[in-house]
Amino acid sequence: MSYTIALAGNPNCGKTTLFNGLTGSKQHVGNWPGVTVDKKEGSYKKDKEINILDLPGTYSLSPYSAEEIVARDHIVKEKPDAVINIVDGTSIERNLYLTMQVLETGVPTVIAMNMMDEVEKRGDFINCQKLSEILGVPVVPIVARTGKGLDALMEAVRQAASEEKRSGQLKVFGEEIEGAVEEIRKYLTEGTPEDQQWTAIKLLEGDEIILDSLRPEQADAVQDIVRKMDSRYNGDTEAAIADKRYQYIGHVVKKAVRRFQAGHTETKSDRLDKILTNRVLALPIFAVVMYILFAATFSENFLFIPGLPSPGVWLAGVVENAWGALTGLVEGGLTSLGASDWALGLVLSCMDGVGAVAGFLPLVLVLFLLLSFLEDSGYMARVAFVMDRIFRHFGLSGRSFIPLLMGFGCSVPALMASRTLENDKDRKITMMITPFMSCGAKLPIYLMFAVTLFAGTNKTFIVFGIYMIGLLVAVLSAFILGRLIKGDEISNFIMELPSYRVPTLKSVLIHAWEKVKGFAVKAGTIIFGSTVLIWLLSNFNGSGMCGMEDSFLASIGNAIKVIFIPLGFADWRASVGVVTGWIAKENIVATFGQLFGGVSDEVVEAVSAGEEALPAITSVFTPAAAWSYMAFNLLCMPCFAAVGAIKREMGSWKWTLRAIGYQMLTAYVVAFVIYHLFGLFY
Amino acid sequence: MALAMVAIGETRTIKELRVKEEMKRHLQDLGFTVGEKVHVVGENASGLILLVKGARIALNRGLATKISVA
Ligand SMILES: Nc1nc2c(ncn2[C@@H]2O[C@H](COP(=O)(O)OP(=O)(O)O)[C@@H](O)[C@H]2O)c(=O)[nH]1
Ligand SMILES: [Mg+2]
Repeated sequence: MSYTIALAGNPNCGKTTLFNGLTGSKQHVGNWPGVTVDKKEGSYKKDKEINILDLPGTYSLSPYSAEEIVARDHIVKEKPDAVINIVDGTSIERNLYLTMQVLETGVPTVIAMNMMDEVEKRGDFINCQKLSEILGVPVVPIVARTGKGLDALMEAVRQAASEEKRSGQLKVFGEEIEGAVEEIRKYLTEGTPEDQQWTAIKLLEGDEIILDSLRPEQADAVQDIVRKMDSRYNGDTEAAIADKRYQYIGHVVKKAVRRFQAGHTETKSDRLDKILTNRVLALPIFAVVMYILFAATFSENFLFIPGLPSPGVWLAGVVENAWGALTGLVEGGLTSLGASDWALGLVLSCMDGVGAVAGFLPLVLVLFLLLSFLEDSGYMARVAFVMDRIFRHFGLSGRSFIPLLMGFGCSVPALMASRTLENDKDRKITMMITPFMSCGAKLPIYLMFAVTLFAGTNKTFIVFGIYMIGLLVAVLSAFILGRLIKGDEISNFIMELPSYRVPTLKSVLIHAWEKVKGFAVKAGTIIFGSTVLIWLLSNFNGSGMCGMEDSFLASIGNAIKVIFIPLGFADWRASVGVVTGWIAKENIVATFGQLFGGVSDEVVEAVSAGEEALPAITSVFTPAAAWSYMAFNLLCMPCFAAVGAIKREMGSWKWTLRAIGYQMLTAYVVAFVIYHLFGLFY
Repeated sequence: MALAMVAIGETRTIKELRVKEEMKRHLQDLGFTVGEKVHVVGENASGLILLVKGARIALNRGLATKISVA
């Protein structure tokens, strides 16, 4: 038999860790809310017939933000054969609240009592046997992080799914509410008895999505009953229902959980929070953390030791050298085979293009390694909280910090993460400014200019500077857009802070590797394809093969370059770069590599010797124009993949076009200002 | 009094949630129900860090003024 099993649980309870453990796949685990915003599918590695679905975390089946709807809809509409409800044993009371609602749906359920290692470390004891007897479903203790208990869990799941074993009726709500549920059920005609039961409870809780789906006469009858109950419960039946659930949980916990120490004792997380979220220290500490992140990636004087390359820069040098050697070999090989000039030109040109990108891969790797370490530690949720105060001045909430920070990696997942924002206006603004956070693919552009035009200057300074420009523009944009876009004011911030955890090497490596693989695949496909196209267009015109200056590409570039006169880079190759950048931002350096000739080898030497690498660029760009060009490419329309993500998340072309329009306009204005302002200094 | 006024280290009982319907639901989902105990573990310019039902929850000052405790 083949089964579909869904993983449901609170954010950060370990769903993705369990999913990876069961399926052997490599989804991104992060110790902060909002990492999994869409459902992910895989099959159980010990039985391919069993399909496993990782759902976004949710605190309840009454959705609060967009990604929570995904979880609810899956459980009640698509009906998996069984649900594994993961419960974080370290905050069992709160986690069982979702459990109660999952059991109300009547789906066959198995409870996975996770984080048992931490429970034991605290000296607490959870009697899973007892819990299982009370709740009427299997309860299996596991440690998702080490894989302990997974076989027993899957055995219980297989049984639950094949027997369609449901939890019996729990006596949770008391006679009065149960009575009202029964009464509402009489008006419901669709679905199984379990569906009706669940729907009736949700209607009593005032669920608007379900109420809207009823026929008018049904809705009227139901609302009458709800009103009657409301007058009984001080106008708040919903609170009464929540209370009853928590009371029931309190009673269950009393019977099945023994605490080593009653009340609250200070934990390691509390002590860390005293420092990391401290009123005075929080922001300086965050600034230092970000600086270390950048320095470890880009600095040539790492830890302020002159001449010591950071791990990122050092690795980049190694790859550049290897690529240079490979190019040499290929050239030698092709020549000895007697390859024609144009074939040799094509191959070498493409190798220059792809190599220009590949050389920056190590920097991207180091950046991602560090970012995912931070994510997995639990620190990010704290930063979101600390930032709330500041973001509020610009009309955003601290929650926006999470997608924005992810934007430093790649805009596509960052745009998806904006789903966790419950306020629509907050979401729209965040999506419009997320591409201003300089993504990993844009990094090579700055480095290319840094080593050629600004060889005398500290490279970290140039890169840090351009990132700051992005940040500044984002903040100002939030402020401006907040006045232009209508919607509710952002008022509340509430977020769970997970316990600090030492990230597992495995999850950090997995995450970084996935990202780097994505970049490598892109270099081998989209970018390679683009380099071939660029080579063809730059070596041919209507009458056959020609010099670059007379090529198709030159005529295209020459046609658009007038637009960029006010920005200081009215050159056909620079213009072509902007356009190829929309396919993928790495393309810009690949294009420069081809059109200005052989970036890769020289860059290596420049990185190690600190001298000028691409003299051809110097003839086109003044330092001010280079700043203007970097800023323009940072801020203008992101790559097509990101535009697609904006379209999916905005759900409308109108807003997608508004976002792109705003970004283009901003890019133009900012680049213009920078060109003329910086021109005064250089 | 308002939750926002409670000092670090103190434990109080929730009396009333004076927020909109949706937020109230979300608060309940997170364990904030009338009669529940909250323990204040931290505080900064953004707001408070609380322990509620064994979970650590951060909320901003604006929201904390809308929750009454005794
Ligand atoms: N100590 C411990 N940590 C765990 C366990 N399972 C997951 N974690 C950690 O909990 C955090 C959240 O895990 P994740 O799988 O991303 O949770 P999700 O949000 O539910 O998908 C990560 O830092 C995990 O490493 C466990 O059994 N024990
Ligand atoms: Mg997850």
